[in-house]
Amino acid sequence: MDTFVSFLGGFEALLSWEVLGFMIAGFLIGTFFGAMPGLTSVLAIALLLPITYTIDVVPALVMCASIFMAGMYSGSITATTINIPGAPSSMMTAVEGNALMLKGHGANALGHAALGSMIGGSIGALLLMAFMPIAGELALLIRTPGKFSLVLFALVVIIIVDKGAIAKGIVATTLGIMLATVGIDVLQPIPRFEFGTELLVEGIGLMPVVIGAFAVSELLVQAQNWNLSLEGTLKRAKDLKIRRRDFIPPWSEIREIGFFAYVKSAFIGYSIGILPGAGGSMAAFVAYADAKRSSKKPEEYGHGSREGIAAAESANNSMCGGAFVPMLMFGIPGDPTTAIVLGVLVINGLQPGPRLLEQQADLIAPMFASLFVSALILIPLTLYLLGPYFIKIVSIPRGLLYSSIAVVALVGSYVATYSTFQMFLALIFGVLAFFLRKHNYSVVAMLLGFILGPDLEQYLRRSLSFNDGNPIVFLTSLDSLAFIALTVVFAYLILRKKPKLDAIP
Amino acid sequence: MLFPAFLLVLTTIYLAEALSIRSQFGGDTIVGPRFMPILMAIIMYVALIVVMVGEWRKESEVTATGSFLRPMMVVLATAIYIAVFRPLGYVPATLCFAAALFLIFDFERKRPVFFVMYVIAVTALFYGLFAGIFGVRLPPMLGGF
Repeated sequence: MDTFVSFLGGFEALLSWEVLGFMIAGFLIGTFFGAMPGLTSVLAIALLLPITYTIDVVPALVMCASIFMAGMYSGSITATTINIPGAPSSMMTAVEGNALMLKGHGANALGHAALGSMIGGSIGALLLMAFMPIAGELALLIRTPGKFSLVLFALVVIIIVDKGAIAKGIVATTLGIMLATVGIDVLQPIPRFEFGTELLVEGIGLMPVVIGAFAVSELLVQAQNWNLSLEGTLKRAKDLKIRRRDFIPPWSEIREIGFFAYVKSAFIGYSIGILPGAGGSMAAFVAYADAKRSSKKPEEYGHGSREGIAAAESANNSMCGGAFVPMLMFGIPGDPTTAIVLGVLVINGLQPGPRLLEQQADLIAPMFASLFVSALILIPLTLYLLGPYFIKIVSIPRGLLYSSIAVVALVGSYVATYSTFQMFLALIFGVLAFFLRKHNYSVVAMLLGFILGPDLEQYLRRSLSFNDGNPIVFLTSLDSLAFIALTVVFAYLILRKKPKLDAIP
Repeated sequence: MLFPAFLLVLTTIYLAEALSIRSQFGGDTIVGPRFMPILMAIIMYVALIVVMVGEWRKESEVTATGSFLRPMMVVLATAIYIAVFRPLGYVPATLCFAAALFLIFDFERKRPVFFVMYVIAVTALFYGLFAGIFGVRLPPMLGGF
């Protein structure tokens, strides 16, 4: 009951002009980044990370949540109009949406994508609020060996969903863990890997890693693939004429899809969101495949199925809610966006864990409310008001865009500690991430390895030291054994029938 | 093949440094401060060998196909920007950096007036954002003059 009251307080917090302003600004930023091919909501939040040093934690988290929801939805805009998914999670929407666009029903496809996102996002946020207290109770039952096995489970899932290249996934994740070992040891006050310089004694901060991995590496990828022929495709988009009323899907079409289909896809998306590293792409793909399997009109799929759009968009927006559960309860991010939100929490001195909701509900509840309001109100509202202009976003000159991103990223990495060393680190990690991406190693796996590495080490060493170095403790502790069993089951399920996804950037 | 080899070298340096870590108390037990780094280095070696064998058997897939010249120019421009950011100050350093990036990304090269206007606009916009709205102290011009 107390938790329910706290959640209501979260909605009340949104009524403050400052918080409301940050939520709307975040939503517009997320829409812009999601709609621009090559830019993602992850990049938007990465660029926002330095700014969180200078604003209160509530507006920062509210802004992150609205960017997340908007970015997940707005990838469908360019996916539909010019067949370039604004985000990897919009791949399935591109298949159906662009087919409808070519038939002259582009606005209708955008309307269905918005409706799916609205329903899925709202359900995901409600499920998050409903199950968080239960997740909190369960989290209290987990002891140190269990925590190690849980982190290990997260890392194993991240590795095996990684583009089918398991060895490369292990390399990327291990590299992240290795980077996390730089600095003071997790259990003893001794520096490690400082290489004789005081600059590394405190370790490597999350900020240069995030900005390097997402902003600088994106800049280098775009520089290498600089393709002016794309400009023509994007400029053609300006000629599209779309009227506001075309965005509203007819009731007959909604009824044909069926409310149950939206709800089912939302549950699929939420469940996949809880899995670390799975992300919006997998949520969209699984829901889309399930919708096609149970459809009365499977022949429409691939040729402009509104049902397919609804399933994919419901699932990827519902995933947003699910991704917050492991991050807030265990400090295990469900996807790259929540990994950066975890950074915002840590920067502001908030420790994820089962007690977070009890002790800091007033800070966390507005973020949940922001997810819900962004989905339920801002998605349809912005589509109706700004829909006709959405497509013009892509006509911004890319030279100007990427130059601006470079300035924001580098100045942003300076802001955290007023140190140019952080800027150099961002550049170094950017170059490293560029080569990782170029050779098909997952940058997200590296980031999650970096974030989860200290916990993995701490729980492993503590568990072993309590048991004279005997690893049998991980099998004799029930919670640990449960997570190890879960790891084996998931590994079997994913590896046995893995969807071919280019999901992880 | 070159990139995994580079990571192999990096791991070797990391392992050499890990072996020199000494525990502050209790001697170097199995769960001391060098336990995890050594474990990670071993996992990294095994994974890299698997990757290298895989790449040796079939030609490695490389996603990007463009030239390295432009990314190298971006890295160089960024490194110079970072080096002069404090000595020169935010405004001159960012003006030069923005101009360099516009040239690298072929933006407004043929219209010098617009080029200059955009360079000034980008510098001013982000100065306004960081210093104006968020109250960040950006390095003053030439150390304060």
